[in-house]
Amino acid sequence: MATKKKIKVLVTKVGLDGHDRGAKVVSSLLKEAGMEVIYLGMFQRPEGIVKAAIDEDVDVIGLSYLSGEHLIFTPKIVEEMKKNSVDDVLLLAGGTFPAEDIPTMEEMGIDKVFRAGSLTASIVDYIKTNVEE
Amino acid sequence: MGEANEKAAQNTQEGNWDDYIKAYYEKPASFKSWSGYDLKEIYKPGDRPEENYEQNIADAGTYPYTRGIHSNMFRGRLWTKREVVGIGSPADTHERLKYLSQHGGSGLNTIADVTYEMGLDADHPWAVDEVGLTGVNITSIKDMETLTKDIPLDRVSWSLITASTASSVTMAQYVAVAQNAGYDVGILRGSIQNDPIHFRYCGFGPACPLDLSIKLGSDVMEYCTKNLPKWYYTTVNMYDLREQGITAPQEVGYGFGIAMCYIDELIRRGLDIDEFAPRFTFYVSCHVDIFEEVAKIRAARRMWARLMKEKYGAKNPKSMQFRFAVHTSGCSLVPQQPFNNMTRIAYQALAAVLGGVQSLHCCSYDEPMCLPTEKAHLQALRTQQILAYETGVTNVADPLGGSYYVESLTDKIEEEAFKVMKEVEDVGGMEEAIRTEWLDRQFESEAVQRQKELDNGGKLVVGVNVFTTEQEKTTPLGVQKISSKSAKQQVEAVRTLKQSRDTDRLNDAIKRLRDDTNDSKNVIPAMIEATRASGTTGELLGTVREVFGYPYDPMETIKSPFNF
Repeated sequence: MATKKKIKVLVTKVGLDGHDRGAKVVSSLLKEAGMEVIYLGMFQRPEGIVKAAIDEDVDVIGLSYLSGEHLIFTPKIVEEMKKNSVDDVLLLAGGTFPAEDIPTMEEMGIDKVFRAGSLTASIVDYIKTNVEE
Repeated sequence: MGEANEKAAQNTQEGNWDDYIKAYYEKPASFKSWSGYDLKEIYKPGDRPEENYEQNIADAGTYPYTRGIHSNMFRGRLWTKREVVGIGSPADTHERLKYLSQHGGSGLNTIADVTYEMGLDADHPWAVDEVGLTGVNITSIKDMETLTKDIPLDRVSWSLITASTASSVTMAQYVAVAQNAGYDVGILRGSIQNDPIHFRYCGFGPACPLDLSIKLGSDVMEYCTKNLPKWYYTTVNMYDLREQGITAPQEVGYGFGIAMCYIDELIRRGLDIDEFAPRFTFYVSCHVDIFEEVAKIRAARRMWARLMKEKYGAKNPKSMQFRFAVHTSGCSLVPQQPFNNMTRIAYQALAAVLGGVQSLHCCSYDEPMCLPTEKAHLQALRTQQILAYETGVTNVADPLGGSYYVESLTDKIEEEAFKVMKEVEDVGGMEEAIRTEWLDRQFESEAVQRQKELDNGGKLVVGVNVFTTEQEKTTPLGVQKISSKSAKQQVEAVRTLKQSRDTDRLNDAIKRLRDDTNDSKNVIPAMIEATRASGTTGELLGTVREVFGYPYDPMETIKSPFNF
């Protein structure tokens, strides 16, 4: 059996928001699910996130939002990804936002949104299904 | 409808009946408290050592205050109904304050946004995108004037929620505005959160280096002790610690550890414990396990009283009284089936009141979606009013006192919280626990544990891992939007102010602030003067930071504009 490459996930927060409990918990549990996680932490800018994603050759970028900054930073990150031709990376967002914003975030380019209260299995399954395909 | 669909519908219906019948015989899945303690099926007199009532419990208003800090509790005065407000610009926030005050709120309560807490002016390159998203940014005295416009500062009680090192500036801005309006600052009534030590755990590490946190936090406390006798100069934030995912006794143990960092510093400065301790307050979480939360509060009161008397030698009863505000637990709320949050909040608020709270903020049901809409804010206030005016819980002090169960649980939480304090002592004390990131590790492992409990059903949350339904497409009472227009206006106003100030006056004030910091003086008087000279949040904090050897700008993007 060929050894399968570990799925590589970059987890990060953008801007000033410091609510990082969710990002840290998700990082920790994705690791337990057998993925390699690069936790960039707080205070990142869109350019830095995309650069790190390229340098680390990740399969997934996970953005954690809480302070209502999701509609401001999502387009900036998507634009930065386009500029750098990053088109084979799954872009996920998790955290706190109104239901009304989810279709908007998906239109902006988020592949899948996980709200607070999501169970770990739903995130792990989504990543495994969509990265391996 | 095809045959297959019809069959599926029938199966579902049959399944539903099975579940329905099973539900009739259902027993609870767990007999543990939220914090994980095994509970007996009934508590009896023999479950506790023979009671020495006077020594361990005592009447409300009597040491060790297990039953409350006032003998008649709410008969003397209802708790303060204080809903947190912070939305967009200072003017937007002012509007919401007025709205709540017109609907029966009894205490003003404003919260800083992330940019202000980080100590950034509204025109800072990192701030411009995020100004006003989660609170209000007060960059200059002009913003504080807008926020406080037409409000009689000599008569209202105002709670200023700035927690980081920026609390020092907030205090200076509030005092400066009061002075300019001609008030004697000695009559100002209210509180400031001012707990920079804990705020590194809320993502404000760059603004809250430990030495600067102790310095500026203690400066505010010392200044208020000497000049604002009616002001509560800190609200040590056990709530934010609990929101990391920790247990009830950890909330108490770690919270007291942080509180003692400030107390030790004030004593080092030569203050007598009874000179300052009567204005020391706490911010406490109320999670959803009602009895455990009440027990936690009762345990905290008894522990604090003994700590102050026995460790610190306090003689004034007021120094021994654990005064606290409650914020119902934001992290217990979920976006799934959002109306359920109202019920969670009501139980949590009930726990706070049964515990003898002094001041209460009820979360709004939309907290896990957005900032509160006006309707949601009002509904949260109404939750408090129903408790206060309909339920009868205000009639009797400590109504759960003497319950075999609650007294046993109070003992248990006390015992466990002491263990937590001992652990902190064993790693070298709270400052060391912070420096070595020992405390970070406790938070992280507890948070992972909480998520695993949801994942494996160890803790049930309706709508999350039980009784789930399809995800809602809308937020029932609408969504609070933050006006990007008013944020832009604020940024522009700050830019204009910076161009039009009396620079000589400002430079002199900044020089004094720098000198006072260098000379290890209390910086609040110099900050007040600099604020009155139109110095801004970023400028004041940056000046102090540089003296301490930190970059002027916590985000390390801009340089100090003062070249002298």
